[in-house]
Amino acid sequence: MNMNQLTEKLKIQLIEILNLTDVTPEDFDENAQLVGGDLGIDSIDVLEIVVMVEKEYGVVINNKEIAEKVFTSLATLADFIRKTSPTLSS
Amino acid sequence: MSSTIKNIYIAGIGVISPLGCGLEATEQALKKNVSAIGSLTAFAVQQPPSLPVGQVQDCPDGFSPLPRTHNLAVIAAKQALENSALIPDVVILGTTTGGILTTENLLAENVQETGKYRYHGLTTVAEEVAKAVHCTGPALTVSTACSSGTVAISMAVKMLQSGKAEWVLAGGVDSLCRLTYFGFNSLQLVDPEGSKPMDANRQGMSVAEGAAILLLTTTKQKNSPVQILGCGLSCDAYHPASPHPDGKGAATAMKTAIQNSGIAVKDVDYINLHGTGTPDNDLAEAKAVHTVFPTPPPLSSIKGATGHGLAASGAIEAAIATICLNKNFLPANTGFKIPDPNCDLIPVLQPDPRQISVVLSNSFGFGGNNACLVIGKAEKHSAAIPTDKSATGKSVPLTILGKACITGAGHTKESMDKFVKLEALAGVLDQKIVSQQLPVRKIRRLKRFSRIALALAAAAKEDSGLEQAPDSVFLGSAWGALSETYNFLDKLQSSKEKFPSPIDFVGSVHNSAAGQIAIMYRATGANVTSSGGNYSFEQALLAADSFLDDTSSSAFVLAADEAHEQFSRLFDPSLTETTPLADGGGSFYLCRKAIPGKISVKLKFYQKQTENIVETLIAALDKNALRNDCAMILAGIPAADANNGEKQLDSFMQKTGLDVPVIHYRKFTGEFASASSVAAVMATHLLEEGIVKHDKKVLIVGFGINVTAMEFSRQ
Repeated sequence: MNMNQLTEKLKIQLIEILNLTDVTPEDFDENAQLVGGDLGIDSIDVLEIVVMVEKEYGVVINNKEIAEKVFTSLATLADFIRKTSPTLSS
Repeated sequence: MSSTIKNIYIAGIGVISPLGCGLEATEQALKKNVSAIGSLTAFAVQQPPSLPVGQVQDCPDGFSPLPRTHNLAVIAAKQALENSALIPDVVILGTTTGGILTTENLLAENVQETGKYRYHGLTTVAEEVAKAVHCTGPALTVSTACSSGTVAISMAVKMLQSGKAEWVLAGGVDSLCRLTYFGFNSLQLVDPEGSKPMDANRQGMSVAEGAAILLLTTTKQKNSPVQILGCGLSCDAYHPASPHPDGKGAATAMKTAIQNSGIAVKDVDYINLHGTGTPDNDLAEAKAVHTVFPTPPPLSSIKGATGHGLAASGAIEAAIATICLNKNFLPANTGFKIPDPNCDLIPVLQPDPRQISVVLSNSFGFGGNNACLVIGKAEKHSAAIPTDKSATGKSVPLTILGKACITGAGHTKESMDKFVKLEALAGVLDQKIVSQQLPVRKIRRLKRFSRIALALAAAAKEDSGLEQAPDSVFLGSAWGALSETYNFLDKLQSSKEKFPSPIDFVGSVHNSAAGQIAIMYRATGANVTSSGGNYSFEQALLAADSFLDDTSSSAFVLAADEAHEQFSRLFDPSLTETTPLADGGGSFYLCRKAIPGKISVKLKFYQKQTENIVETLIAALDKNALRNDCAMILAGIPAADANNGEKQLDSFMQKTGLDVPVIHYRKFTGEFASASSVAAVMATHLLEEGIVKHDKKVLIVGFGINVTAMEFSRQ
């Protein structure tokens, strides 16, 4: 899976687990602020994403400092998963 | 118009926690300043090692068919009444877990036998306690997350002060279970090393369990110098799970409790902090303390020793406050090592021998639910000047400013149109229609129960035509958020306990819907979720009547339940395999103010079924008044109690000699626990539309294991 594919897949996954019914993957700007931005994503949503990322990609995010960087935008999340996932073939 | 506030004496205390069983064991443990947080053995986990918990070591699990929560509560209740043949008028318990641990075990084994789930409902804990102490008065349950125990005691105080009762058994209880153990961990709120509140390196709480129950009375107690001096409730109306970052709501609750007690801020000798050990909660509480106290008195959290007993914690800490006052020492903040400059508070480091007179005890929970108690020695109170309006507001009616319902037929208009044509309303309304008026983004995380509740509140406000929303919320529900609870446990089980959902956990909490209403309407007053099985709306109304003691106050009072494919038939004994599912609810915008021409509502009766229950009901309602005024009876007989309920109704009609139409409202609403809230909207509609004459009354009578009566009349 290349970076673009991963980004697009994450958009669909986030829309689903956060029930963003009024957002389409096309609307989802991967470089926009992810938490506290227009989508209304907050700390509980972040934790839900953390669970999903561990389940789907085997990536554990349990450190506040790392989490703050990783959840800057969907693009930074994709980048982190790509670099650290043991299950994702590069 | 001056009023004297009645003194509330603590006549008995029962406590069981990780520290031990009974006051003496609790005192000795606190004096040792050793943490009781340790290994989990109450249930097995699939992914060891387990996280440290505060477990009660001597809980007799195998000793009865009752779930662990019920056992803990009964032990505490019996202790509180030790050496006394007294029978309390009312039992009020705070709990969040009910029989969930037993339910989890049954679900894991895929047990489909519905009778086995009979102790799932929160209400069954208070009912078991009432049974154990022979109480036939109201057995009430509040569920406001981690402030539940304190809210239960606060409600007891209000009921005693207003003369609704003379002896009340009140407290909180929760047992360890998978829902809270994995739920708090999914939110990364558990400290893997064990909780160390207020410490700079704190990482979270330790989930715990326990029970504490106080016997409270207005009858002067010679040998018990300690009283509940006052209480204060508030809601952050900020976030479902995080506290207001500046502790705004917490500060309000502390100030209200102090004011309600008639003491000054400087009179507080010791603060028993909520102090769970989570980074955000402790910081918010510290900021709130600094807001209220220019120079904070000595303070500590005991949760480094006990862990966080959730609904039990406030009651356990009220019991501990009495130990501090009677035995003259302050408990240490076990586990604290390094001061946190952001909190800027140094708690009590070692058990501190010191004579004190007044303790402030804090409890804060999910949904921004805050509750504080002031507990102190009698002399402080007698010197105080009552500033509270408690005793004066009670004769003023609760007036309906707006109403709304949701049924299988639709929203209020569709439902009432069908009802007046005597057509059935029962069913499960399409979820899109339920939430059609609600903003999509705000409800994206909410499932059916919360959506029904939020839509009900919105519609009642709209019906009132008022710009201003009420500041308090009183919500009743038998089963709460079934969808979230089911989803959470299902994902937990299917992932071998690896991937529980934080969103589902936050939504599964019984008071999450009331918290959402508060957030939407900035309702920062009291926020109480009640759970009373088929009498949940009646319990919410009783809570509103107890807490709305000020003539400037207003509230949403509502009840709702959701139909759930997997859970409803397992839990609700009124549903058989063939009963069609139904759900919905009813809501009101109420104020404590007489408004001529408007409809008012009054809970006239709430008792457990006894041999002479019908005679007692008739005496309470006054036979002559009934004959003169009552134009219609809406009777609620849950299918599970059909035979018994019909007999009660027949006897009631025969003994009163009433010759008025009787409508079995469940035939219209379908079988669901909070159907009486829809009946309440029906009664109001009949009066407002003049279908019932303006000088007549409509009575809603609930039959079954409890007998209740609500009266609707035009002022």
